[in-house]
Amino acid sequence: MELTVNGTVHDMDVEDDMPLLWVLRDELGITGPKYGCGIAQCGACTVHVDGLAVRSCQLRAADVNGNVTTIEGLGTPEALHVVQAAWVEHQVAQCGYCQSGQIMQAASFLELNPEPTDDQIDAAMSGNLCRCGTYPRIRAAVHSAAARLRGA
Amino acid sequence: MKYLSICAGLMLAAPAIAQDDPNRVEGLAAWDRIFTVTAHPRCTNCHVGEEGQPMWQALGYGPDAVHGMNVRAGESQIGAESIPCDACHVTSAAANTVPHAPPHIDDAWRLPPVELAWLGKTSAEVCTQLRDPETNDGHDIASLVDHLQNSAFVNWGFAPGAGRSVPEGSLDALVHDVTVWGAAGTPCEGD
Repeated sequence: MELTVNGTVHDMDVEDDMPLLWVLRDELGITGPKYGCGIAQCGACTVHVDGLAVRSCQLRAADVNGNVTTIEGLGTPEALHVVQAAWVEHQVAQCGYCQSGQIMQAASFLELNPEPTDDQIDAAMSGNLCRCGTYPRIRAAVHSAAARLRGA
Repeated sequence: MKYLSICAGLMLAAPAIAQDDPNRVEGLAAWDRIFTVTAHPRCTNCHVGEEGQPMWQALGYGPDAVHGMNVRAGESQIGAESIPCDACHVTSAAANTVPHAPPHIDDAWRLPPVELAWLGKTSAEVCTQLRDPETNDGHDIASLVDHLQNSAFVNWGFAPGAGRSVPEGSLDALVHDVTVWGAAGTPCEGD
């Protein structure tokens, strides 16, 4: 099957039911998306399919029906995505394990709601767990990224 | 005088005839079986009404468990305002084999129309709601039967996989009961 990840088309020889997360990490060596729970309870594996955040541990390879973007394709060290830049600005990450999922979820959310309230941010991010408890910094960074996206 | 007595007798007997009408009795019995399905958590976990907060009842998290992650369907009914349902509930025809994982169906996961609230409703409330096209998403009995037979959600409800509980009966039995209830004139308790 063909899979487009971060703008590159890959011809994959994998089982239909291999989760996208496995395809990314084990077959393509793209290790930004993390394995946390395997049942969509933690959000660590969040990637985008056609710009919308999905838990890649739940998506079978055969069911991928759009272009996949991982944290590696969201921005580059030289040209960070605004959400990544806000994460740096607010020094959000502690251990960092969940952060690629957090950033991918936040980036997708801001496409849908460019001017979110605290409650809306909390609601949108409540499927992404952080055992270090960086939630206050996540909320602040999402506000900063939203402001930048609005050109404020 | 004799004529008046006959009329009075007929008038008194009329309610008894309606109550004992075999068609109505059969229809109400069919409704009772339909309600055991609509009242099952497999249905009420999503038929939550205006609140838009899906439930996780009968999943081992306690009787009042709400859906994790503080999920809200929002005005969109698909969670577009916060976490879209399909962030986790994938559109896929594959079998559901993993307990505690978000179920998937071959349709876009979403909540039903808000007027189709079943959670916490009585049998009579759901009955009068389901027979009225104003509150049942515009269905007559024929299209309701068609919906039951062809909806990926309804089909999944009877075969949710991975050991999840299911309503009593079967989809075929539900279709039969809705047909009987419709043929009986969709009687409800208290009519």
